[in-house]
Amino acid sequence: MSKATLHSIDSAFLLEMDPDGRLNLASCLQCGRCSSGCTMRLETDILPHQLNRMVALGLTEQMLSSKAIWACVSCHTCVSRCPMKVDTPTLIDRLRQKAKAAPKEMDRVRIFNEAFLASVRRFGRVWEFGLMAAYKTRARDFFSDLGKLPAMLRKGKLSLLPPPKGARKAVATIFNRTIGKRRAAK
Amino acid sequence: MKYAFFPGCSLESTARDFQMSTLAVAQALGIELQEIPDWSCCGSSPAHSTDALLAASLPARNLAAARRLEKDVVVCCAACYSRLAAANKALADDENLRIEVSKVIGEMYGGTVRVRHFLQVLREDLGIAEIRKLVTRSLGGLRVACYYGCLLTRPRELSIVSDPEDPQLMEELLAAAGATPVEWPFKTECCGASFSITRTDTVKRLSGEILKMAKESGADCVVVACPLCQNNLDLRQADIAAAIGKEIGLPVFYFTQLLGRALGLSDEALGIGKLMTSPEKVLAR
Repeated sequence: MSKATLHSIDSAFLLEMDPDGRLNLASCLQCGRCSSGCTMRLETDILPHQLNRMVALGLTEQMLSSKAIWACVSCHTCVSRCPMKVDTPTLIDRLRQKAKAAPKEMDRVRIFNEAFLASVRRFGRVWEFGLMAAYKTRARDFFSDLGKLPAMLRKGKLSLLPPPKGARKAVATIFNRTIGKRRAAK
Repeated sequence: MKYAFFPGCSLESTARDFQMSTLAVAQALGIELQEIPDWSCCGSSPAHSTDALLAASLPARNLAAARRLEKDVVVCCAACYSRLAAANKALADDENLRIEVSKVIGEMYGGTVRVRHFLQVLREDLGIAEIRKLVTRSLGGLRVACYYGCLLTRPRELSIVSDPEDPQLMEELLAAAGATPVEWPFKTECCGASFSITRTDTVKRLSGEILKMAKESGADCVVVACPLCQNNLDLRQADIAAAIGKEIGLPVFYFTQLLGRALGLSDEALGIGKLMTSPEKVLAR
């Protein structure tokens, strides 16, 4: 982690991430309660209280290229226990939205998000069977969980047919008007 | 009692048993669930990780459709509940977002519909005492570990329980059905949720800790209210047991399945046969 000096502190990024102060990012006391309860504390590279300080210091690049923002499982333990109600999960959402790419070891998360949204965009609802096929192709992860497939099909937990058509047009419009032609998770 | 019902994508596929048992229980209790016409996906984690306006607009379309039914919205999937409730609150609180979303979905919606989880309806509208009266086949002291996970308990503003660190909602309900809830410390830990596919080892570690703790706490089974939790704890249980070299053997029921049994409904109607970890032994006691 690179050092911030008094002269390098840049509050522009803090304002970009929390323009109206609703996330309470500037209120973090560094007590560490968020990090001690973080579900991903053993696997992440930057803990929640560190992220909260880094955003105040304007360490933009380190945050955007971190493993942490993709390792977050959005369990909301951090914000629920925070004495200052610092909304770290929403900060992480905003960082993910801004990040151009994910580190290699976390790229599957980004690929899954992209395949998930492509399924919703096309069918209005998630078609899980199609999503799994699309994800596995893009992530080059062909063999995991294949053994579970027969039982899931037998028990009717996966459908070979896509969902009904009713919502497709309206949902496609929502996608066109929000993320537009941009590919889902970029 | 009539409600607008939002099933969500999981209840139509991997959590079909949650859908079946919910509809069966609702019918037995005189609760009418009217499906929101042409409902669409809530967007789940991929939407809020990608674009804030998309993440608000996908639920808003469904909530605006529910408004036309003039009833509270009932949700069973914890992830759908969380997304619908979060968008609803954001739309009520933020005028700019309201205007932006109205341009996307083609109508103004101000977060005015009430979004509720089915557990809340059972306790608040029907009442535990009323449910107790309708129990015809007690669960006979079955020791249940009630597991809530994340999205029903956090963040606090959207929590369906009064104490997000030690919820008692499912415990009260299942005790009324004749079960014995066990005291255990992991009821609001995270199972790894949507990382099931992308980071399976993480999910096995987290879900494994939860299953081990439930077992050590003396539970016969785990009871959940979330399709993601159910999948991670049930579908991956055999792999987890193999990895730790110990048998676990804990069936993972939806709360509606056990409640339905207590109401005298058939296993077939409740989708009990769709569980991966066989419940036969614990139900035969």
